Amino acid sequence: MLFFSYFKDLVGQEVTVELKNDLAIRGTLHSVDQYLNIKLENTRVVDQDKYPHMLSVRNCFIRGSVVRYVQLPPDGVDVDLLHDAARREARGG
Amino acid sequence: MVVGLRDFTQRAGDGSGKPILDESNGEELMHVQSSVAVALGNRTVESPGTLYITSRKLIWLSDVDMAKGYAVDFLSISLHAVSRDPETYSSPCIYTQIDVEEDEDEDESDTESTGVLDLSKIREMRLVPSDSSQLDTLFDIFCECAELNPEPIEEEEEESGHNWVFSADQMDVSGGGEEDADWQISQSPTSVIGHSNGEEGLAQPMLELQINDQRFEDAEEMAHESGTKDH
Repeated sequence: MLFFSYFKDLVGQEVTVELKNDLAIRGTLHSVDQYLNIKLENTRVVDQDKYPHMLSVRNCFIRGSVVRYVQLPPDGVDVDLLHDAARREARGG
Repeated sequence: MVVGLRDFTQRAGDGSGKPILDESNGEELMHVQSSVAVALGNRTVESPGTLYITSRKLIWLSDVDMAKGYAVDFLSISLHAVSRDPETYSSPCIYTQIDVEEDEDEDESDTESTGVLDLSKIREMRLVPSDSSQLDTLFDIFCECAELNPEPIEEEEEESGHNWVFSADQMDVSGGGEEDADWQISQSPTSVIGHSNGEEGLAQPMLELQINDQRFEDAEEMAHESGTKDH
């Protein structure tokens, strides 16, 4: 799946994962699997007032199905590579 | 179909007090951690208890009250993390967030005021092992089990069939689309996942995976070999 390959390339970069329950967690992308489950390190909660308990968390595992958005680093998108991958996907399908 | 946290009282009658698992449907016990306290939402810690981690769910059973126990499916666990900061919580623990039905009323706080605890509205659960050196191990086991429980494939996707997933190349290797779903599962490194859930539909994400594999050319041949072995 295109997104899986894409997120694998982002490992090590800083991302913000926004969950469907409105919690947004910023951290270093540690790993991602084929279900787009995401492991973050050095995390911090963007809205700390709402989820004070999450402050104590430094690494976490987020279930892929509860992710609404992943905010990427501006330079985290290799446009050419993405174009190419999208074309291949389209041909394959 | 979000279930959330629920009571769990099905213990074996042999005196061991172990939970009864759905073994006929492939549920397996993955790990047992004794001496674990549990805290639901903002409620006080309940202990002592034993944590059973199965391939489907977490089960916490009280060691003293045989009628007390909680369970939550990995499907309902949105995230889990190791929490070690004493300022936010007194004991190092595994912190979990539980996916609950969205409700107009705010979470567990108002149910507490009525004195009735509605488990299905609990959004946070902490598991506090007395041996905090086990936290990282537990975290890893949680990760592993979460991956054993991908979202059920929705019907809509099944209707659109397997057609769009297959590339022309793959069709050439062994013909029929339905058969492909089988051998793709068996040769995939994550085949355990597919089998343990017994859902053929799970082959889809794995196929998509292979299409993008940079070693696609080789993978194709290997896939063919292991496919003939398995059938």
